[in-house]
Amino acid sequence: MSAFSVRLDEAVAHCDPHGGCITCGDEAVAMRVCVIDAGRGLALCEDEAGRRSSVEIALVEPVAIGDALLVHAGTAIGRSAAGPSGGTDHA
Amino acid sequence: MRFVDEFRDAELGRALAGEILAVVEPGRHYKLMEVCGGHTHSIYKYGIDDLLPANVELVHGPGCPVCVIPMGRVDDGIAIAHQPDVIFTCFGDMMRIPGSDGSLQDAKAAGADVRMVYSPLDALRIAKANPDRDVVFFAIGFETTAPSTALTLKRARAEGVKNFFCMCNHVTIVPPLRALLDSPDLRLDGFVGPGHVSTVVGARPFEFIPARYGKPIVVAGFEPLDVLQAVHMILRQLAEGRCEVENQYSRVVPYEGNLRALEVLAEVFTLRPHFEWRGLGFISQSGLRLSDAYADFDAELRYAVPGVRVADPKACQCGEVLKGVIKPWECKVFGTACTPERPIGTCMVSSEGACAAYYNFGRFARERQVV
Repeated sequence: MSAFSVRLDEAVAHCDPHGGCITCGDEAVAMRVCVIDAGRGLALCEDEAGRRSSVEIALVEPVAIGDALLVHAGTAIGRSAAGPSGGTDHA
Repeated sequence: MRFVDEFRDAELGRALAGEILAVVEPGRHYKLMEVCGGHTHSIYKYGIDDLLPANVELVHGPGCPVCVIPMGRVDDGIAIAHQPDVIFTCFGDMMRIPGSDGSLQDAKAAGADVRMVYSPLDALRIAKANPDRDVVFFAIGFETTAPSTALTLKRARAEGVKNFFCMCNHVTIVPPLRALLDSPDLRLDGFVGPGHVSTVVGARPFEFIPARYGKPIVVAGFEPLDVLQAVHMILRQLAEGRCEVENQYSRVVPYEGNLRALEVLAEVFTLRPHFEWRGLGFISQSGLRLSDAYADFDAELRYAVPGVRVADPKACQCGEVLKGVIKPWECKVFGTACTPERPIGTCMVSSEGACAAYYNFGRFARERQVV
C-alpha cells in the first residue's frame, strides 16, 4: 500500500464531526448478519449504508443470518428486540 | 431510511414538544443532564433544545470517554508509541487529543508508528501480521467499549498471540455519576441515562440515583424522538412526584444488561483503586485495568511510562463543561483559540464532546440568538 493510499484511508476513516464517532463514543450501530463464521466466533455484518465488516458475536450468540445486531467497536453488544423485519430498531 | 425514520418524524416531535410544554410547571426551572456524549451530539445535531420550553435546560455530562481522559494518560501513551519496534493503535478521536507535548498524531508525524483502528480486533490483526513487533492498543471507553477489548484479549490468548498489549483506560459510568451528584456545584433535577452503556450494564445500576439522591433517570436512545420522549418521561415523573429508573430504550436495553458481557468484563478486568478524570479529579473505583490473569497483555507492565499527573491547560474550562457547570460557549477560548481544527481541550476534539458538538451544530443558532 502506498503512502498516499494510507493517508487516503485515514482521511476517509477519520471521525466525521457531523456523523458522530461510533468507536469511542457511547454509540452503536444496527447491523444485519450476512455470513456467520461460527468456528471463529465472527460474523460478516452489513450496516444501513451497505458497509460490511467482521463482528465479534460471542456476546449475543446464537445468531442467525438476517438477525439485527447492535454493534460497537467491532463487537455485537446487543440485539434488536424488533427482529430483522420489525423495522423499529435504532441505527 | 429503514429503522430510523420513525424516530425522526417531525410531526411526532412537535406533538412530543407540546406534551412536554403541558407537563412543565410555569416558573420552575428544570435542569436535566444527559450523561452520554452521544446524546449531546444528537441534541445539537437535531436542535432538540430548541423544541424545549425555555425553563427546561439540558446540561451535558461526562459521558464522552475521550473527553475525560487526563493529559498524563495521553503522555503515557505517547511514551509507549515512541518505544522502538512498537506499533501503537488507537481509535480515531484519540489521535488528536493533546498531551502536554503534542498529540499521538504529532508523535506519528515525528516518526512513531501510530495507527488508527476501528476496533481492538483490527489491532489484533495488525499484531498477527507483524509478529516481530509489539502492537499496543490504547483501550478507551465506558462499558460499551470495554467488552470489545475484553473479547479481543481473550481471543489473543486463545490464539497464542504474544506481541499484543493493551494500555487500559476503560472507565465505568456509575462512579462519576455519584461524584456529580455529590458535587455542590450542580443542582440537577434528573438524568437522561446512557443508552448503549446500558445495553451492557442494564438499567439496574442506576437505581441508586432515585433511591439515594431522589432524582429520576430515564435510559434513552439516540434518535431525536428518543431524547424528546426521555425528557418528557423525566418531567412527567417530576410532575407526578415520582422518582424512579425508567427505560425509554427498551427496544435495545434489557433491564439486567448483557450478562455474558458482564461476565467477560469481570474475567478480563479489575477495578483500579482510583482513576483520574479530566475535570472531575480522582474518582475511586472508576477505572479498569487488566486482571492478574491477563497481566501478560498489560502494556503498562511491559513498558515504563512516566505516569505523571499533568494539570489541564489554564485557559481550558473542559472540567466545568464536563460537569455541566458552564455551557461550551461560556468557556473563554471556545471558538477562538480552541476549535475542532486546533483544539486546546478534549471536549473540542471528539465529535461526542460538548464543545465540538456545539461548535459544529449550534454556534450559528447561538449567534442569531445573541443578535
